[in-house]
Amino acid sequence: MDFSIIELDDETARFRDEVREFCKRYITAEVLDAEYRDGNGFDLELHMALGERGWILPTWAKEDGGAGLTGLKASILALELEAHHAPSITKGTTTLVLPAVMRWGTDELKAEVVPGVARGDIRFCLGYTEPDSGSDVAAARTRAFRDGDEWVIDGQKMFTTGAQNCQYSFLLTRTNPDAAKHKGLTMFLCPLDHAEIQAIRTLGGERTNMVFYDGVRIPDRYRLGPVDQGWMVLLGPLNAEHAMADSAPPVTLDSPGGMYGISAVFALEAAVAWAATPGPDGRRPIDDPLVRHRLARHALDVEMATIATGPAGRIISSEVAIRVGADLIDMVGPRGLLPRGEKGTVEDGWIEHSHRFAQGTATYGGTTDVFRNIIAERVLGLPRSAPPTKSPS
Amino acid sequence: MDLDLRRADYSLSDDQEALQAAFETFFERECPATRVRSAEPFGFDEELWQRLAGMRAVAMGVPESGGGDGAGLEELILVAEEVGRRVAPVPVIEAVVAARLLAAVPAGADTLDAVLRGSVIPTIALHAGGGDQLVPGGSVARAAIALVGDDLVLAERDRPPEQVANQGHAPIAWWDLGGSDVERRTLATGREGRDLFEQAGREWRILTSAALIGMSRAVLDLGVQHARDRVAFGAPIGTFQAVSHSLVDVAMSVDTGRRLVRKATWYQQHEPGVHRHLVPMAYFYAQEAAVEATTVAVHVLGGVGFTVESDAQLYFRRAKGWTLVAGDPQRELGALADQLFGPAQVVGA
Repeated sequence: MDFSIIELDDETARFRDEVREFCKRYITAEVLDAEYRDGNGFDLELHMALGERGWILPTWAKEDGGAGLTGLKASILALELEAHHAPSITKGTTTLVLPAVMRWGTDELKAEVVPGVARGDIRFCLGYTEPDSGSDVAAARTRAFRDGDEWVIDGQKMFTTGAQNCQYSFLLTRTNPDAAKHKGLTMFLCPLDHAEIQAIRTLGGERTNMVFYDGVRIPDRYRLGPVDQGWMVLLGPLNAEHAMADSAPPVTLDSPGGMYGISAVFALEAAVAWAATPGPDGRRPIDDPLVRHRLARHALDVEMATIATGPAGRIISSEVAIRVGADLIDMVGPRGLLPRGEKGTVEDGWIEHSHRFAQGTATYGGTTDVFRNIIAERVLGLPRSAPPTKSPS
Repeated sequence: MDLDLRRADYSLSDDQEALQAAFETFFERECPATRVRSAEPFGFDEELWQRLAGMRAVAMGVPESGGGDGAGLEELILVAEEVGRRVAPVPVIEAVVAARLLAAVPAGADTLDAVLRGSVIPTIALHAGGGDQLVPGGSVARAAIALVGDDLVLAERDRPPEQVANQGHAPIAWWDLGGSDVERRTLATGREGRDLFEQAGREWRILTSAALIGMSRAVLDLGVQHARDRVAFGAPIGTFQAVSHSLVDVAMSVDTGRRLVRKATWYQQHEPGVHRHLVPMAYFYAQEAAVEATTVAVHVLGGVGFTVESDAQLYFRRAKGWTLVAGDPQRELGALADQLFGPAQVVGA
């Protein structure tokens, strides 16, 4: 056990100051307003500025486009960006996919995309989900047919978040419909220039997309890994997204561990700030026993969302965000409904936003129900939950 | 916004792992459920207590200057978790907290010696004030430390008071701290006395939290085993998500609750002035988790889980039976709020 303060040497302290200056310069009120309004999960100027400093792949060597940062500095960078509410969805999907490209891509493909990823002008989105398959990832039906040195892609993907910001999709296709469900899949890093992207708006204010692949032809060099063995290729990024990876960083910081905890942290901070401010009657809400008791409970729940890890972290952080968001908005009263920028808005609208945004987090990357199955089977060793069998005739 | 850059290392050292394994083995061997049952309704097993003394379970928590082994809370929570896991009928948590308190004041030296020799079991009266109160371990202890007025007092008796029957079969008893059958000595006064008493209460809460995590883990194991074995509607009931997901919720509480207890423990041991809300937070969470875990286990085990033959009910009784002596757990949220938000201001008062 060790929760001691990490003393920063002068050089690291200067680095932290530099990151803070960077955040102030690039994560402006306009950027945050636009993110709140458009839910893009991305800001081009910010992303390119990160790339210019090697901060998209901060721990990579400088000659490979990174910044050669130590684990501690990389953690400081991540923490400061998060604390300043940097739009990060597209950066997240890009760096999630990159290890699969490094592992399975040909040298030619890597030369084509990796320097651009580091610079910032090449970005990846996740092309798993389809209209008929979401949490059941391997049920994908989008087809890829071989035609000489090319592949022809036919199908439709859903909820390809950030596709409008990206040049490639990490695309799950079915190449052998006669094989078993997990055995006939092939992965591609599919260029998006011939795919059709249609926007979908969410309750959480996010922009996501339907992406149509209508006879899209791509050269074989965009294939990742062996034909029909795409499930193996997909598992790396999928497990990382599922927070199942067992490689913990050497230094972790006092920061939201559960991946969706941050939304609840911001909402709670906003509510505590609101509660400590006297109302028109001169009284502080925090002195009202009803408010005080609930905020204490929410502080407990948010702490749990922060310290939980792995699949439990994914579930707890999402469910805490949902539960806490719904009650904080009650506590604040009608002003809790007002969005950012409206007259009388509470604390920049973080509570209003959190209440909506939290709902989607229980679905992203596999629903909380699926994650409970993962824990039941892999952690508790319970028998696999059975699909319904045919009723006896 | 200035963020604390802190490590977040929840792991155990090699020595701590060895200590944990030693107590796991000890309790597994010495304290099967039959032993818990045979100690009912009094909640105390003298022989087990003697053997535990052989493991230095109490002495290890006393500083070396006081004749102990100088272990910290980090080590003591590992013992407490194993105590809870077997719902062992021994008041080790109360005794170690009281012994540490005795070691902190010169006036406690004689009693501490008696404790380390094994002739006295000490405990702590958790509620400030001088009157009658239910004291944990109070039916086997001859010495209880209490805060009476502004004085930290050691109340001693020739023999412990009678146990009072209780749902948790815990060794609790009424102690009349102002009564004629106790002999009182002042250990510390004023600010020092209050601070020591508060610290002891926090240590009791931390160790009890760890025991509650142990209880939750034990009933989780019972529930999971049953869900694997029991067949209904042609399948093991663990294949039904209504069953498996309730067990998963318990598993998440155990793992995350243990992390919270370790974090609270570390701060209390190394930086007791920082993040003081973590102790009431861990205690509240652990007791809530234990009540949920034991409720789920009794339910997953079906009708059998509700019978007195079921081990699950041993745990169910103690989830509240070991905690309510400190009062309504919801009050911990008040303590948490005071630490996090500062004391409430009363307008016009």
